[in-house]
Amino acid sequence: MIDPIFQSENYQVARKLLDAAALRQEAIASNIANSETPGYRRLEVSADFAEQLKSRVRAGDLMAVKDTLKPTLAQDPFARSVRPDGNSVEIEKELLAMNKNAVEYEYLTEIVSGNIKQLKMAITGRVA
Amino acid sequence: MNLISGVDITSGALTAQKIRLDIVAQNIANAQTTRTPEGGPYKRKIVSFENELVKRAGGSPLQTISVSSISADKAPGQAVYNPQHPDAGPDGTVQMPNVNLAFEMVDLITASRAYEANLSVVKNSRTLAMKTLEIGK
Repeated sequence: MIDPIFQSENYQVARKLLDAAALRQEAIASNIANSETPGYRRLEVSADFAEQLKSRVRAGDLMAVKDTLKPTLAQDPFARSVRPDGNSVEIEKELLAMNKNAVEYEYLTEIVSGNIKQLKMAITGRVA
Repeated sequence: MNLISGVDITSGALTAQKIRLDIVAQNIANAQTTRTPEGGPYKRKIVSFENELVKRAGGSPLQTISVSSISADKAPGQAVYNPQHPDAGPDGTVQMPNVNLAFEMVDLITASRAYEANLSVVKNSRTLAMKTLEIGK
Protein backbone atom coordinates (compact mmCIF):
# COMPACT_ATOMS: atom_id res chain seq x y z
CA MET A 1 0.00 0.00 0.00
CA ILE A 2 2.91 2.37 0.66
CA ASP A 3 4.44 1.99 -2.79
CA PRO A 4 1.56 3.28 -4.86
CA ILE A 5 1.58 6.67 -3.12
CA PHE A 6 5.26 7.29 -3.77
CA GLN A 7 5.03 5.93 -7.28
CA SER A 8 1.92 7.82 -8.24
CA GLU A 9 2.33 9.87 -11.38
CA ASN A 10 1.77 13.22 -9.68
CA TYR A 11 4.42 12.45 -7.10
CA GLN A 12 6.98 11.45 -9.73
CA VAL A 13 6.33 14.49 -11.91
CA ALA A 14 6.42 16.82 -8.89
CA ARG A 15 9.78 15.35 -7.89
CA LYS A 16 11.24 15.92 -11.34
CA LEU A 17 9.87 19.46 -11.48
CA LEU A 18 11.31 20.17 -8.03
CA ASP A 19 14.73 19.06 -9.31
CA ALA A 20 14.31 21.41 -12.24
CA ALA A 21 13.21 24.29 -9.98
CA ALA A 22 16.22 23.82 -7.68
CA LEU A 23 18.50 23.78 -10.72
CA ARG A 24 16.81 26.90 -12.10
CA GLN A 25 17.57 28.68 -8.81
CA GLU A 26 21.25 27.85 -9.36
CA ALA A 27 21.11 29.13 -12.91
CA ILE A 28 19.56 32.40 -11.74
CA ALA A 29 22.18 32.72 -8.97
CA SER A 30 24.89 32.32 -11.60
CA ASN A 31 23.20 34.81 -13.95
CA ILE A 32 22.89 37.50 -11.28
CA ALA A 33 26.44 36.92 -10.03
CA ASN A 34 27.71 37.37 -13.58
CA SER A 35 25.47 40.30 -14.48
CA GLU A 36 28.56 42.37 -15.29
CA THR A 37 30.87 39.71 -16.73
CA PRO A 38 31.70 40.58 -20.35
CA GLY A 39 30.54 37.97 -22.85
CA TYR A 40 28.55 35.95 -20.30
CA ARG A 41 25.45 34.27 -21.76
CA ARG A 42 22.55 33.63 -19.41
CA LEU A 43 21.95 30.04 -18.29
CA GLU A 44 18.60 28.31 -18.21
CA VAL A 45 17.29 24.80 -17.56
CA SER A 46 17.55 23.24 -21.02
CA ALA A 47 14.30 23.26 -23.00
CA ASP A 48 15.02 19.62 -23.82
CA PHE A 49 13.98 18.60 -20.29
CA ALA A 50 10.52 20.19 -20.52
CA GLU A 51 9.97 18.70 -23.99
CA GLN A 52 10.88 15.19 -22.88
CA LEU A 53 8.79 15.43 -19.70
CA LYS A 54 5.82 16.67 -21.67
CA SER A 55 6.08 13.91 -24.28
CA ARG A 56 6.41 11.22 -21.60
CA VAL A 57 3.41 12.55 -19.68
CA ARG A 58 1.44 12.41 -22.93
CA ALA A 59 2.65 8.91 -23.69
CA GLY A 60 1.88 7.86 -20.11
CA ASP A 61 5.18 6.10 -19.39
CA LEU A 62 6.00 8.02 -16.24
CA MET A 63 7.79 5.16 -14.56
CA ALA A 64 10.64 5.69 -17.02
CA VAL A 65 10.86 9.35 -15.96
CA LYS A 66 12.03 8.37 -12.51
CA ASP A 67 15.55 7.31 -13.42
CA THR A 68 16.32 8.46 -16.91
CA LEU A 69 15.20 12.07 -17.15
CA LYS A 70 17.51 14.64 -15.60
CA PRO A 71 17.33 18.44 -15.96
CA THR A 72 20.52 20.08 -17.20
CA LEU A 73 21.70 23.64 -17.62
CA ALA A 74 22.31 25.23 -21.00
CA GLN A 75 22.88 28.67 -22.42
CA ASP A 76 19.61 30.38 -23.24
CA PRO A 77 19.54 30.53 -27.05
CA PHE A 78 16.78 33.16 -27.09
CA ALA A 79 18.47 35.71 -24.84
CA ARG A 80 19.46 38.78 -26.80
CA SER A 81 22.19 41.16 -25.88
CA VAL A 82 21.87 44.90 -26.29
CA ARG A 83 25.09 45.64 -24.49
CA PRO A 84 28.47 46.32 -26.07
CA ASP A 85 30.15 43.64 -23.93
CA GLY A 86 27.89 40.86 -25.24
CA ASN A 87 26.46 40.01 -21.81
CA SER A 88 22.86 38.79 -22.14
CA VAL A 89 21.72 39.06 -18.49
CA GLU A 90 18.89 41.47 -17.70
CA ILE A 91 18.79 41.74 -13.94
CA GLU A 92 15.08 42.68 -13.65
CA LYS A 93 14.14 39.61 -15.67
CA GLU A 94 16.32 37.41 -13.49
CA LEU A 95 14.73 38.73 -10.29
CA LEU A 96 11.24 38.17 -11.72
CA ALA A 97 12.21 34.67 -12.84
CA MET A 98 13.54 33.99 -9.34
CA ASN A 99 10.24 35.08 -7.77
CA LYS A 100 8.26 32.96 -10.19
CA ASN A 101 10.53 30.01 -9.55
CA ALA A 102 10.07 30.39 -5.77
CA VAL A 103 6.28 30.25 -6.10
CA GLU A 104 6.56 27.20 -8.33
CA TYR A 105 8.90 25.54 -5.86
CA GLU A 106 6.55 26.17 -2.92
CA TYR A 107 3.63 24.82 -4.91
CA LEU A 108 5.56 21.65 -5.74
CA THR A 109 6.60 21.09 -2.13
CA GLU A 110 2.90 21.38 -1.22
CA ILE A 111 2.07 18.62 -3.71
CA VAL A 112 4.80 16.35 -2.36
CA SER A 113 3.66 17.12 1.20
CA GLY A 114 0.10 16.33 0.21
CA ASN A 115 1.15 12.86 -0.91
CA ILE A 116 2.94 12.20 2.35
CA LYS A 117 0.00 13.54 4.36
CA GLN A 118 -2.33 11.11 2.58
CA LEU A 119 -0.10 8.25 3.60
CA LYS A 120 -0.01 9.51 7.20
CA MET A 121 -3.79 9.78 7.22
CA ALA A 122 -4.09 6.23 5.95
CA ILE A 123 -1.83 4.95 8.74
CA THR A 124 -3.22 6.94 11.65
CA GLY A 125 -6.81 7.47 10.53
CA ARG A 126 -6.59 11.09 11.63
CA VAL A 127 -6.78 14.05 9.31
CA ALA A 128 -4.12 16.29 10.84
CA MET B 1 19.68 18.74 -5.76
CA ASN B 2 21.71 21.09 -3.65
CA LEU B 3 20.41 24.58 -2.98
CA ILE B 4 23.55 25.60 -1.12
CA SER B 5 25.72 25.46 -4.25
CA GLY B 6 23.63 28.27 -5.70
CA VAL B 7 24.68 30.30 -2.68
CA ASP B 8 28.37 29.48 -3.32
CA ILE B 9 28.17 31.31 -6.63
CA THR B 10 26.39 34.24 -5.03
CA SER B 11 28.83 34.53 -2.12
CA GLY B 12 31.70 35.03 -4.57
CA ALA B 13 29.76 37.82 -6.24
CA LEU B 14 28.86 39.39 -2.86
CA THR B 15 32.51 39.48 -1.78
CA ALA B 16 33.59 40.95 -5.10
CA GLN B 17 30.93 43.67 -5.07
CA LYS B 18 31.75 44.52 -1.46
CA ILE B 19 35.43 45.02 -2.34
CA ARG B 20 34.30 47.25 -5.21
CA LEU B 21 32.22 49.33 -2.76
CA ASP B 22 35.23 49.59 -0.42
CA ILE B 23 37.43 50.84 -3.24
CA VAL B 24 34.82 53.42 -4.31
CA ALA B 25 34.72 54.65 -0.70
CA GLN B 26 38.51 54.88 -0.67
CA ASN B 27 38.57 56.80 -3.97
CA ILE B 28 35.96 59.29 -2.77
CA ALA B 29 37.66 59.72 0.61
CA ASN B 30 40.95 60.48 -1.17
CA ALA B 31 39.49 62.79 -3.81
CA GLN B 32 41.59 65.70 -2.44
CA THR B 33 44.67 63.82 -1.20
CA THR B 34 47.83 65.32 -2.66
CA ARG B 35 50.37 63.59 -0.45
CA THR B 36 50.71 59.79 -0.32
CA PRO B 37 53.39 57.44 1.06
CA GLU B 38 54.38 56.59 -2.54
CA GLY B 39 54.79 60.30 -3.23
CA GLY B 40 52.63 62.48 -5.43
CA PRO B 41 48.86 62.76 -5.45
CA TYR B 42 46.51 59.83 -4.75
CA LYS B 43 45.90 57.59 -7.77
CA ARG B 44 42.37 56.33 -8.29
CA LYS B 45 42.10 52.55 -7.76
CA ILE B 46 40.25 50.24 -10.16
CA VAL B 47 38.91 46.79 -9.27
CA SER B 48 38.94 44.16 -11.98
CA PHE B 49 36.90 40.98 -11.70
CA GLU B 50 37.68 37.52 -12.99
CA ASN B 51 35.64 34.39 -13.57
CA GLU B 52 36.04 31.34 -11.42
CA LEU B 53 34.52 27.95 -12.07
CA VAL B 54 32.58 26.32 -9.26
CA LYS B 55 32.58 22.55 -9.57
CA ARG B 56 29.30 20.93 -8.69
CA ALA B 57 28.65 17.33 -7.83
CA GLY B 58 27.34 15.63 -10.96
CA GLY B 59 26.70 18.65 -13.12
CA SER B 60 28.32 21.19 -15.36
CA PRO B 61 30.43 23.74 -13.46
CA LEU B 62 28.97 27.20 -12.91
CA GLN B 63 30.82 30.50 -13.01
CA THR B 64 31.24 32.79 -10.06
CA ILE B 65 33.30 35.95 -9.91
CA SER B 66 36.15 37.12 -7.71
CA VAL B 67 38.43 40.15 -7.61
CA SER B 68 41.54 39.50 -9.72
CA SER B 69 43.42 42.72 -9.01
CA ILE B 70 43.19 46.24 -7.63
CA SER B 71 45.28 48.50 -9.83
CA ALA B 72 45.89 52.22 -10.06
CA ASP B 73 44.34 54.38 -12.76
CA LYS B 74 47.27 55.76 -14.78
CA ALA B 75 45.40 58.79 -16.09
CA PRO B 76 46.97 62.09 -15.01
CA GLY B 77 45.11 64.26 -12.52
CA GLN B 78 44.33 67.91 -12.94
CA ALA B 79 46.98 70.53 -12.23
CA VAL B 80 45.34 73.32 -10.24
CA TYR B 81 46.94 76.73 -9.75
CA ASN B 82 47.02 77.24 -5.98
CA PRO B 83 50.29 78.79 -4.69
CA GLN B 84 49.09 78.73 -1.05
CA HIS B 85 48.92 74.93 -1.05
CA PRO B 86 51.80 73.27 0.85
CA ASP B 87 52.27 70.77 -2.00
CA ALA B 88 52.36 73.38 -4.73
CA GLY B 89 55.31 73.18 -7.13
CA PRO B 90 57.65 76.08 -8.01
CA ASP B 91 55.17 77.27 -10.66
CA GLY B 92 52.35 77.44 -8.08
CA THR B 93 50.33 74.47 -9.43
CA VAL B 94 49.21 71.44 -7.39
CA GLN B 95 48.79 67.99 -8.95
CA MET B 96 45.35 66.82 -7.83
CA PRO B 97 44.25 63.14 -7.68
CA ASN B 98 42.65 61.69 -10.85
CA VAL B 99 39.40 60.93 -9.01
CA ASN B 100 36.23 61.92 -10.84
CA LEU B 101 33.38 62.07 -8.32
CA ALA B 102 30.71 61.53 -10.99
CA PHE B 103 32.35 58.26 -12.11
CA GLU B 104 32.68 57.12 -8.52
CA MET B 105 29.02 57.80 -7.73
CA VAL B 106 27.86 55.83 -10.77
CA ASP B 107 30.15 52.97 -9.78
CA LEU B 108 28.83 53.17 -6.21
CA ILE B 109 25.21 52.83 -7.32
CA THR B 110 25.96 50.01 -9.77
CA ALA B 111 27.90 48.07 -7.15
CA SER B 112 25.27 48.49 -4.41
CA ARG B 113 22.46 47.45 -6.77
CA ALA B 114 24.41 44.37 -7.81
CA TYR B 115 25.04 43.58 -4.14
CA GLU B 116 21.32 43.88 -3.34
CA ALA B 117 20.37 41.64 -6.24
CA ASN B 118 22.81 38.96 -5.09
CA LEU B 119 21.55 39.28 -1.54
CA SER B 120 17.99 38.65 -2.66
CA VAL B 121 19.20 35.46 -4.34
CA VAL B 122 20.57 34.30 -0.99
CA LYS B 123 17.28 35.10 0.76
CA ASN B 124 15.33 33.27 -1.92
CA SER B 125 17.57 30.19 -1.78
CA ARG B 126 17.10 30.10 1.95
CA THR B 127 13.31 30.26 1.65
CA LEU B 128 13.38 27.39 -0.85
CA ALA B 129 15.65 25.32 1.40
CA MET B 130 13.27 25.90 4.35
CA LYS B 131 10.33 24.85 2.19
CA THR B 132 12.16 21.63 1.37
CA LEU B 133 12.59 20.92 5.07
CA GLU B 134 8.87 21.44 5.59
CA ILE B 135 7.89 18.68 3.17
CA GLY B 136 5.57 16.27 4.94
CA LYS B 137 4.82 18.60 7.84
